[in-house]
Amino acid sequence: MTDASSRQPALHRISTYLHKRPRLRLLLLLALPVVWLVGVYGGSLVSLLLQSFFRLNPFSGVLERVISLDTWRTLFTAANNAVIMRTVGMATAVTVASVILAFPLAYYMARYAGPRVKAILVLAVLVPLWSSYLVRVYSWKLILAADGIINWFVERLGLEGALQALLGAPVIGGPSLSISLFGQFLVFVYIWLPYMILPIHASLERVPRSLLEASADLGARPAFTFRKVTWPMAIPGVAAGSIFTFSLTLGDYIIPTIIGDSSPFIGLAIYSYQGVAGNLPLAAAFSFIPIAVMAVYLTVVRRFGAFEAL
Amino acid sequence: MRTRAGLGLKIAAGFTLAYLHIPIIFVFLYAFTTEEASFKFPPPGFTTAWFDVAWQNSDIRAALGLSLRVAVVSTLVALVVGTLAAAAVWRSNFFGRNTLSLFIILPIALPGIITGIALRSAINLGDLSFSFWTLVIGHATFCVAVAFNNVIARMRRTSPNILEASMDLGARGWQTFRHVLLPQLAPAMVVGGMLAFALSFDEIIVTTFTAGNQQTLPIWIFSSLVRPRNRPVTNVVAVFVILITFIPIILAQRYAQRAEES
Amino acid sequence: MKSRAVLLLAVLAMIVAGCGSGTSDDESDLPTEVGEGEGSVVIVAWAGYIERGETDPAYDWVTDFEADTGCMVEVKTAGTSDEMVALMTGSTEYDLVTASGDSSLRLIAGGSVQEVNIELIPSWDTIDERLQNAEWHTVDGKHYGTPYSSGFNVLGYNTEVFGDAPPDSWSVVFEETVLPDGQSNAGRVQAYDGPIYIADAALYLKATQPDLGIEDPYQLNEDQYQAALELLRQQRELVGRYWHDAFIQIDDFTNEGVAASSTWPFQTNVLQFAGEPIDKVVPVEGATGWADTTMLATNAPHPNCAYMWMEHSLNPKLQGDLAAWFGTVPAVPAACEGNELLGPDGCANNGAEDFDEILFWKTPTDDCNGTAEPGSCVPYYRWTTDYLAVIGGR
Repeated sequence: MTDASSRQPALHRISTYLHKRPRLRLLLLLALPVVWLVGVYGGSLVSLLLQSFFRLNPFSGVLERVISLDTWRTLFTAANNAVIMRTVGMATAVTVASVILAFPLAYYMARYAGPRVKAILVLAVLVPLWSSYLVRVYSWKLILAADGIINWFVERLGLEGALQALLGAPVIGGPSLSISLFGQFLVFVYIWLPYMILPIHASLERVPRSLLEASADLGARPAFTFRKVTWPMAIPGVAAGSIFTFSLTLGDYIIPTIIGDSSPFIGLAIYSYQGVAGNLPLAAAFSFIPIAVMAVYLTVVRRFGAFEAL
Repeated sequence: MRTRAGLGLKIAAGFTLAYLHIPIIFVFLYAFTTEEASFKFPPPGFTTAWFDVAWQNSDIRAALGLSLRVAVVSTLVALVVGTLAAAAVWRSNFFGRNTLSLFIILPIALPGIITGIALRSAINLGDLSFSFWTLVIGHATFCVAVAFNNVIARMRRTSPNILEASMDLGARGWQTFRHVLLPQLAPAMVVGGMLAFALSFDEIIVTTFTAGNQQTLPIWIFSSLVRPRNRPVTNVVAVFVILITFIPIILAQRYAQRAEES
Repeated sequence: MKSRAVLLLAVLAMIVAGCGSGTSDDESDLPTEVGEGEGSVVIVAWAGYIERGETDPAYDWVTDFEADTGCMVEVKTAGTSDEMVALMTGSTEYDLVTASGDSSLRLIAGGSVQEVNIELIPSWDTIDERLQNAEWHTVDGKHYGTPYSSGFNVLGYNTEVFGDAPPDSWSVVFEETVLPDGQSNAGRVQAYDGPIYIADAALYLKATQPDLGIEDPYQLNEDQYQAALELLRQQRELVGRYWHDAFIQIDDFTNEGVAASSTWPFQTNVLQFAGEPIDKVVPVEGATGWADTTMLATNAPHPNCAYMWMEHSLNPKLQGDLAAWFGTVPAVPAACEGNELLGPDGCANNGAEDFDEILFWKTPTDDCNGTAEPGSCVPYYRWTTDYLAVIGGR
């Protein structure tokens, strides 16, 4: 150890200096993250939101830096409220469905899979995450089409009646699965599934086997053990995964353009408004909505320990 | 105590797995179709010609190269910033600690389009020109969350005592970091890095707003899906990406698992 | 005394600040010659407008230009007219933009594009006379760009659905009807998702409700506008999905059983080539269309290369190849002859003969494009918000 100090006296001096000054050390550690995330990113968010108090020249699309509430007045109309309700509704449905689909697989991977199988399963969950999002969504378009793959199977299995009933349903139905909100829901669930599986799996892994054995030894039936022991320990993972599924659905504008019946969603509205006549003020005002929704969501979800389970 | 899963659980898990992978099977399938513009089911014929077309296309190679470079650099930057932040948050209780944690998660918790527009306004305000580095800034911003979370989770499982012990034995701060702390963190950094790389490589929304005229692979795929010629080429590209990402995922996973066990 | 000076200064400052943010249309010194190329040119264009043989080696009108002039071409693709306006506003990195008629006037008014000296474009006279002084790129006698290509919003329909009774009216997409195959058209039609589509509704009303007195579908007073919106709300019940991307629509015609929709010859050509039973027609009520103009950015970093490109864009071979690729009508009529890719009937197939029946896109302004008092017509920004609401079902 004296060799190191004689070879690099400067480094040694800096190191000791820092060791004696924890606050300076902290400052150095924090400098870059804070400047970047709070300064640049946080600052740009604030400046975006401030834009909502500006106004667009109605004809030429040039931004007028005049403080006004015109843009906000345009935001809260019946049409826009419908957009917000629709998006939040879809995000909630997608989150719930993702949990239901993700849990069995995550549970199996954490509890029952041997090391080899587990490795394969983790790979199986990660591969879709690495494949192109766009190409997969376009594949769904074919799968859901009226003359597409699902229809092909439905015809051969004689399930047309059931499919027609589903498509005839109000709000979620449509002329075909690909032109319906239900189809869009299926695609959203599909795309975000790995983001839900991984955190749940991670938090289930942390459930010590001894705890479950103890529960069984004390006479609890498997269902009871699940409800009282396993599920509470999985909640942080579920909460963490739900942050992803909720916010990703809230802001996505690509899937609604490819699958669905053109009903506007928040992400699409923001995208259109910042593109449509470059109406950045209205896009900024619209952005408040998902930010507000996510702020509320994050506060709730933090209580369940989601931040530690991400 | 049950040591084997019930049938119900296996079926449910299997269903989810199938749900995840059946569309990918179709991605593979249509990389071989003879159709050019619009896909039908069942595909009318099969051909491997598209692989050659894709290979010849220099735009694809350029886009792939750009995506790889952006992903690598963004991941590294994210790991550095994330680890710094994690180190700060782990042991010290400073004013604004919770706020910092929130700001780290924000880019990934807020919809991409908001992050994209916000960063784009910031870039315009700062009068920067859109370049490789604006892409990296965009990607690293949301990758930091992934790196931070993995590293801090690992740090929380590390007892601070070993650091004290190392210091007591006379090691300098740097040596403690390099020989004691870093090996502990390495698996978390690898896993975090892998996830960050995946996020960056396939990202389209934030990228659209922070790219100038550059084409990352997702942007190339997007623009080529808009013009219905040689559509199977996008499937070929997707197949290629899936195949080459198998190896790093397996390697990283083995490494992480071995590190966890030790 | 001092306070008055301060007040005066403050007023002066405000005036200066106010002036500073205005448009710079008082500089009228056009370049008098095209100098040396700067080595590159950056163009904002629709996808597929500027091909360099990457997608299909036969369609390449860039590599020769680059070899001849040394100006390397970079393309930034935009998805919508509004995106183009957003990209060009205040930009210092783009040289040219292939703007459609619904954005060109906005670009001019916003000061994003500058006047073009047509003397510097030798091939200007080869442009179709009907396009040379078109109102969407010529303001007060000043030209702001070079016509590039035009396309029509025709009615595309499924020949198997219509059988022996092909449609000849837009009623099949605006009114609920039972189509010749025995089923309603509800859920089987599509409409364009751009706000400019309100003009198509107005065009239909011009023929079916003459009492409204609609003359120009882009210049609507409040009553006419509300009637058009009402028609569109009615149409919403019939539309399965609004189309935006040509490809997605091609997919829908192929796989979703779409019976009829406004579309471009591009889609119908591709579908026919793939053997699908799709055909097109310009209905009796007429049709809207778009005529794209290559416009020069106000702060173009490479103006010489830009002028060279504008000249090159009028090359008959380029015009013919582009028309073949995109299913459009060339801005230069000579391009219709002797082009291999286009073929002898190419221009006719793409609708060249219907040119005079087409009402080309132009941005609706509140002074009816300069022909009336401000406030007489409904301006474009209202079209955008209202159309989005219609699509949302309100």
